[in-house]
This record gives sequence, C-alpha cells and structure tokens, in this order.
Amino acid sequence: MAEVVLKDIRKEFGTFVALERLNVAINAGEFVALLGPSGCGKSTTLRMLAGLDFPTAGEISIDGRVVNDVAPGKRDIAMVFQSYALYPHMTVAQNIAYPLKKRGVARPERDAAVAKTATLLQLEPLLNRKPRQLSGGQQQRVALGRALVREPKVFLLDEPLSNLDAKLRSYMRAELIELHRRIGKTMVYVTHDQLEAMTMADRIAVMHDGRLQQFDEPEIIYNQPANRFVAGFIGTPSMNQLEGAIAGSSFVINGEQVPINRALYEQALKDGPVVLGIRPENVSLSGGSLPATVRLVENAGHEQIVTVEIPGGHRLLAREASGQRPSVGQTCQIGFDADFIHLFQPGENGSRFETTGQAHVIPMQAQRSASDES
Amino acid sequence: MATAAHAGHRLERRYARLGVFLIAPTIVVFSLVIVYPLLAAIYLSFFSVYTPTLEGEFTGADNYIRLLTNAAFWNSLITTLIWTVGTLSLQIVFGVGMALLLHQNLWFRSLARSLVLFPYFVSTVVAVLVWRWLFNDLYGAINHGLMQLGIMDMPLDWLGTMPNAMIGVILVGAWKYFPFVVIAVLARLQTIPEHLYEAAKIDGAGPIARFFDVTLPQLRSVLVVIILLRAIWDFKEFDLIYLLTGGGPVTSTQTLSLLVYQEAFALNEMGQAAAYSIGMMLVMLVFMLVYIRRTAREA
Amino acid sequence: MRILRKLGFNLFTWILVLLVAFPLVWMILTSLKPQTELFRIPPTWLPETVTFEHYWRLLTETPFLIYFRNSVVLATTTTVFVVVLGAIGAYSLVRFAYRGRETLATLVLFTYLLPSVVLIIPLYLMMVELGLSNTLASLVLAHTTFALPYALWLLRSFMEGVPEDLESAALVDGASRMGAFRDVILPQLLPGIISTALFTFILSWNEYLYALVLVNSDAVRPLTTGVMTMLISAFNIEWSLLMAASVMMSLPLIVVFAFLQSYLTRGFGAGAVKG
Repeated sequence: MAEVVLKDIRKEFGTFVALERLNVAINAGEFVALLGPSGCGKSTTLRMLAGLDFPTAGEISIDGRVVNDVAPGKRDIAMVFQSYALYPHMTVAQNIAYPLKKRGVARPERDAAVAKTATLLQLEPLLNRKPRQLSGGQQQRVALGRALVREPKVFLLDEPLSNLDAKLRSYMRAELIELHRRIGKTMVYVTHDQLEAMTMADRIAVMHDGRLQQFDEPEIIYNQPANRFVAGFIGTPSMNQLEGAIAGSSFVINGEQVPINRALYEQALKDGPVVLGIRPENVSLSGGSLPATVRLVENAGHEQIVTVEIPGGHRLLAREASGQRPSVGQTCQIGFDADFIHLFQPGENGSRFETTGQAHVIPMQAQRSASDES
Repeated sequence: MATAAHAGHRLERRYARLGVFLIAPTIVVFSLVIVYPLLAAIYLSFFSVYTPTLEGEFTGADNYIRLLTNAAFWNSLITTLIWTVGTLSLQIVFGVGMALLLHQNLWFRSLARSLVLFPYFVSTVVAVLVWRWLFNDLYGAINHGLMQLGIMDMPLDWLGTMPNAMIGVILVGAWKYFPFVVIAVLARLQTIPEHLYEAAKIDGAGPIARFFDVTLPQLRSVLVVIILLRAIWDFKEFDLIYLLTGGGPVTSTQTLSLLVYQEAFALNEMGQAAAYSIGMMLVMLVFMLVYIRRTAREA
Repeated sequence: MRILRKLGFNLFTWILVLLVAFPLVWMILTSLKPQTELFRIPPTWLPETVTFEHYWRLLTETPFLIYFRNSVVLATTTTVFVVVLGAIGAYSLVRFAYRGRETLATLVLFTYLLPSVVLIIPLYLMMVELGLSNTLASLVLAHTTFALPYALWLLRSFMEGVPEDLESAALVDGASRMGAFRDVILPQLLPGIISTALFTFILSWNEYLYALVLVNSDAVRPLTTGVMTMLISAFNIEWSLLMAASVMMSLPLIVVFAFLQSYLTRGFGAGAVKG
C-alpha cells in the first residue's frame, strides 16, 4: 500500500497556478526524488507534504490518513532543509533533542536517543558546539540527526546537498543511500540535480511548470522519457532533438533521410512532422548516412563531446571514446543507433511515441512501473 | 473532492485566525490613541472650542475659511519651509561629508563616531539648554570664541533678532540631526563593494572621479530616502524651535507645529488649531505618500 | 609625504569632530564651574576651580530626583508595553497571511510619519474625559502614538531577517506556532528587540510636547518639562545648575553609548533607512 499519496493536488498563489492535477503515490520504504528545474513546483509539493504550505484543492494522505488539516508536527514526518535550519542558539545536542522535547519525551530517554543518533552520524565530539562552529558538512549531519532522532514514518529532504562543495556532495550522496538502505524509511527528496536523482532514487518524479511529467524508475526515465521535456532534462549532455518528418520508413530532415524501424512504433505513428531524439552516445561519427561537419571538440579525458553541424544549420552532440580525435572542419557521415532513436510528437513538449520490444527496454521493469502508477 | 478542498483550508484558516489574534492588541491601541484622535481632530476642526471650558459650537467650514484667508497659516507655512530647506540642506551636506571622513582610516575612529552620533540621541531639552547657554549674548562661548578669533568685534544677539534667530535655529537643527545622515550614509558606504573602486582605479579614475562615478551613484537611493524622511521630520519639528525661540522674535520662527500649539493652548482656540493641524498634515501628506510608495516598492 | 597627508587628514577630521562635540563638552565644563566663574568676560575655557556643588544642590534642593524617577517609570513602562505589543504584532505582520495585512503595514508606516501636533488636541481632550490628565498613565498612552508605530516598523524589519526555515523546522519538529515563536524566533529576534527597546526608551525619555500639554504638576513631570521649569522659574538663570541637570539627564544615554552602541547602529540599519 502506498504510504504517501498526493491526490489531484492543485496549488495557486494568487492568480499563479503553481501545481495542477498532481497525482503521486509513494510506497512505504521507497526513496523518491522530485526532480525539476527551479520553479517547477517541487519544493511547494514537499512543503505541502510537510504541512508548511496548503493545497488549494486536493488531498494529501500519509499512512492512510488524510493530513490536510493536520499540523506539521503531528504528521509523523521529519524534514531536512536546504539551509539546514539549525537553531543557532542551541547546541548540537539541543538541536537534535528538540523534536523529542516537543513530543514530551522524558529527559533520560531523550539523552539516550540523542546519543544513539550522534553515534550513527559520528557527531559525538560535536554535541556541545553551536551550529555556527560547525563546517557545512557537519551542519548537514546535524540536520539529518534532528530528522532521524524521533524515527518518523516519512523523511522529507529539500535539496539537502546543494550547499556542499562537489567532493563532499558525492560523499554525502553515498552516505544518504547507505542510510536509506539501513533504516528503510520512506524518503521524499527534492532536487534539481539529475545526477542526484538518478543515483539515489528508487523512482523519480520529473516535474515541469507545475505538472508531473513522468514518475518512474531512473532507467526508464532515461531510456523511455515520456516527452521532449524529460528527454532534454535527463542526461548530460542532453538528448539531441531534431524537428523533421516521417515519410515511409525514414525520418526526413532537410531532404536527408535517416532510416527508422517503423515496425517498432504503434499505429499512432503517421507520416508527417515529428521530432527525432537521439542521445549523444548513440550518435556515431562515421558509417552513417547524414553528412555533417565537425564544429567543436571538447575533450574530457576519458571521452570527448563532439559538436557537428548537419545541413540546415542544426547542431548535434556526439559522445565518442577518447582516441582518434576528429579535427574541426572535418566532414563526416554521421549515423544513429536505430535501437535508441526516440520519436516525439511535434510541439514544445510533445510526448514520446511508445515503442514495442525495443532492445534496451527491460519488460519486467516496464510492467512494474505500470502497476505502480495505477 | 469539494470537501477535501474545503478541509485543506482549515489549518490555513486556523493560522490566519491566530495571526489576526496577535495583531488585535496593536489594532486596539492604534484605534484608541491614533485613529480615533485623528478622526476627532478632523471633527473638531469644524467647531469653535474654547480650551479652558472645552465648550464649543459647530461653525462649519469657518476655521478652514479663516485658514485660507488669514495670513497666519501661510506665513507659518513659509517659515516652516525656510526652516526645513535650510536645516535639511546643512544636514545633508555635513552628514555626507562627515560620513565620508569617518569612513576613512581615522585614528580612534570608533570614538570619533560616538562623539558625532551623540547629539542625535541627546534630548532636545538638553541640546537647547546647552545652545542657549552657548548663544548667551553676554557670557556665551560663541560670541566670545568668535571675538577671540577676530571674526566679530561685537557680541551678537543670536536668538532675539532676525535673521539671526532663524539662522540659529537652523544651525542647532543641523547640529542635532545631521548624525542621522551620517549613520545612514556610513551604513551604505560599508556595503559598496571594494572591487568597484579597484575597477575605477584600473580605469584611471582619481579620487574625485571615483567619488562622483562610484560613491555618489551608490548613495543615490539611500539619499533619496534620507531626504524624504528628514524632510518629513524637520517639517513637523516642535520641541527644538519651541524651546529655542518659542517662535519669536514675535512670529518670525513660528513654524506650523508651533502655530497649532499656540492657537490651542495660548489663544485657547482648539477648533481653529485642529483646522491648522489638518492643513499642515495635508501639506505633509505629499511627502508621506512619496515615502510610503517608495518603501512599499522596495519591500 | 604620505605620513604628512595622513596627519593632515586626521587633524582636520578630529577638529571637525571636536567642534561637533564641543557643546556637550561645554555642558560638562560649565556644570563643574562655580557660579561666579560663569560670568567672567572673556569666559574661562577650562574651569579654574572644579566643583560638584551644583550636582549636590540639584539632588538635594530641587525636585530633580522626582523628575528623574518619573522619567524612568514613564520610559520603562512605554518601552515594555510597546516592545511586547510590537514583537507579537510584527510576528503577525511578517509570518501570517490574512486579509488586510498589507494595508495594515502601510498604515503603521503612515502613523510613524504623523505629526504629533495633529493628535495632541484630541488626546488632551480624551485624557481630560478619561480623568487621566496629569498622570503618568496619560503620558504612557500618548507616547505609544509615536513609539508603537516606530517599534512595530523596526521589529518588522528585524523579523524579516529571521530565516523562515527556522520556524518551519520548529513546526515540523512538533512546535505550535506560538511554541516556535518562543523557542526559535524570540531568541533570534533578541538583538533586534534590544535595539528597539533602546530606541523606544530614548524616544520616550526625550519626549517634550506631550509632557508639556498633558502634565503640569511637579509630582508627575518627567525630566524634559521638569528641567525646563527650572529654567523658567529661576529668578536668575543658574546655568551651571542647568548644565548639571543636563548632564544628569543624559546619563542613561551615556551608559547606552558606552556599552550598547552597536545595538543603536543596528537599529538604524534595520529601521527606516533602507535602500
């Protein structure tokens, strides 16, 4: 049974609609990332789960109980804030003990719980310090400790790693995954960083302009993006998208033809305008049929990102293993790995044409995600 | 669905009620000591009230007609404007200048800052007593100081004749209130990023060019706020002028605030005084609205 | 050359600073001179004999101590009243959403700029009506007319400086709104409250007009009007006595300046002058 359910949520700020028809069901013990660019409504969603913002319409339930009218402190949730929000005038120990104190836990049990949490997060030597005497990473751990200490049903994390430097961030990422595995609690994690979402989450809810775009496992989001937005947002460098048309068994752009396996697509695919999506790693610089000129080569050590221009001025990115280095100005015949070609409806956020039996799709996962969403 | 939507508002509404509950005492006090008196002042201005007995009769717009036709209000308005413009300009010039000096690397800087700020916080009564003693025509330090320096050869009657009285009031006002400008400008100066000056230096700007091209534009917005605020406060100043000259000689330093007080508590014409005060407020309203607009826009 | 320029700058600035401070120095010097030394022509710049007789006379022969006590009671009561109202009012204005909140905030700003003379006549009538004329209570009420908008406005800025996340965290941790206010916001607001309290105290301590109109007996007169009556009632103005009174009257200020000056400058940053 789903532990956290958002049903038909709508949120307006004045005349601005921040969220519309949001439906998400999160299973017990699941690690879910809410992912999207800033202003997509992901933080608002989290704040509504916490009871800090109020939905204009819709229903929020946690563990089978509708919590719309329940104060934040009574929802059995804990939250880690982007700013950590540690109480500056309290010591680390007092910070961690505060949620217990507010719940009327007696002093000896409180101390024991604080000690246990401190051990878990290696905070013992810091217990008597004030937050401002701590480094960013230490503050982060105290914030986690304050959330962990009273063992809530659901953890809400609002961009908890975004204030750390890159090295510490990747360390804490591993720590959080480890922590989630150990305590097995439901976690809802807001981030704008797709790498965090892809590496940590069991499932990712991709949001854009106040609407849920796709809610699925990371591989599926990556391999079967629901629409052009998801396709472009997930993956670095992002997926190449070419506006052209379908004619017979080819995708036609500027008179050049790219062969596609039309049989893979359902009946819906008709001749006419369409957007072709292909990830840079599925673009090869030789042996294809599309003439192109190399415009830029960015060497990242283990790989290189090559920008090529095809007739009509469109630019494409290709990811190549380091080795032979193409030179700028060189012409080549680029090709796309047919198994990894995506076709989208034209339009700003056209949805993807479903495929059947494409090589990279693992059918079992597809089924599981289908049952989750129902 | 509708019930859920309705229910979703309950916590929000509970918070809103708490918010109203918390502001309620303030609203009550405000209504009692500000809103009610303000409305009462408007009401009173249509009556003729004799102060000692507090008896009065409705006289319609008579007070306002008198305000418009008699010279008293207009003369006081002009006096008020002279005082405001005079003292405000000195406050700004000295204030900005002093702030620039105190922003530099000065020996015992914090002591110097304390000394400069002190006049602003000292009671007007204290300031006036000290200045009246300084201005004293027989034994005052100013007359003798100036005579010892050879600037004057005769003691001057500072507060008893014109235009000396107005000059004296303006000077004391500037002395008392320029620290406000100093603090505000200093605070702003400290937030000007150093790299702006470095960039200007690299571009070959000298100290004077740096002041006009970097400092002044950065100070512009804070100066507008200071000028508005000080203009409002100087315009309504009562204590300082009343205690220094009492509006004299005769009525030559009688600003609008003094006129209202005089009318109500010396001439015992409360209704007329109320009308004067409303007239004064209407003049001020222009500045007040500009200031409120500006503050609202920044928020 | 460099040293010389530095010396010149310091000299110039310090002369200006001392010129600004001169009236206050003169006040102290005069209060220490014997009465006879005041009427020398030309005046002695430094006292030839230092005496504390004026201070002694002030405390024993004049109602100065009564005025002082009245001022302490008046300013303290006003400050406590206004800061308590202002702190919870500012919490409401900054952290709650209800209709009319913005209008209310604008109204506060408007009253903050309102001239006292507009309110003085109706307030006088009101105090007579309520039977409060000639009491310290009437002055406390009158002082709220300028102190409350001021405190509310100042505290509102300070409140805006307290991160909203802190309150949110406290709510999630199980505190009620008022619990979060007490446990988390109030401790963060403390420096702002001290600033506001100091400013309010000074405003009330220095206020003259209301005291002039609403109170006319020595028993309830605060220092401002009290000291001025000493000037007016004296047959022969005793300047050294008045200067001693001025020094004594400024004592609380000197204490604040010596120990709490940072709070005063902080109040400026948060208060009226932004932008």
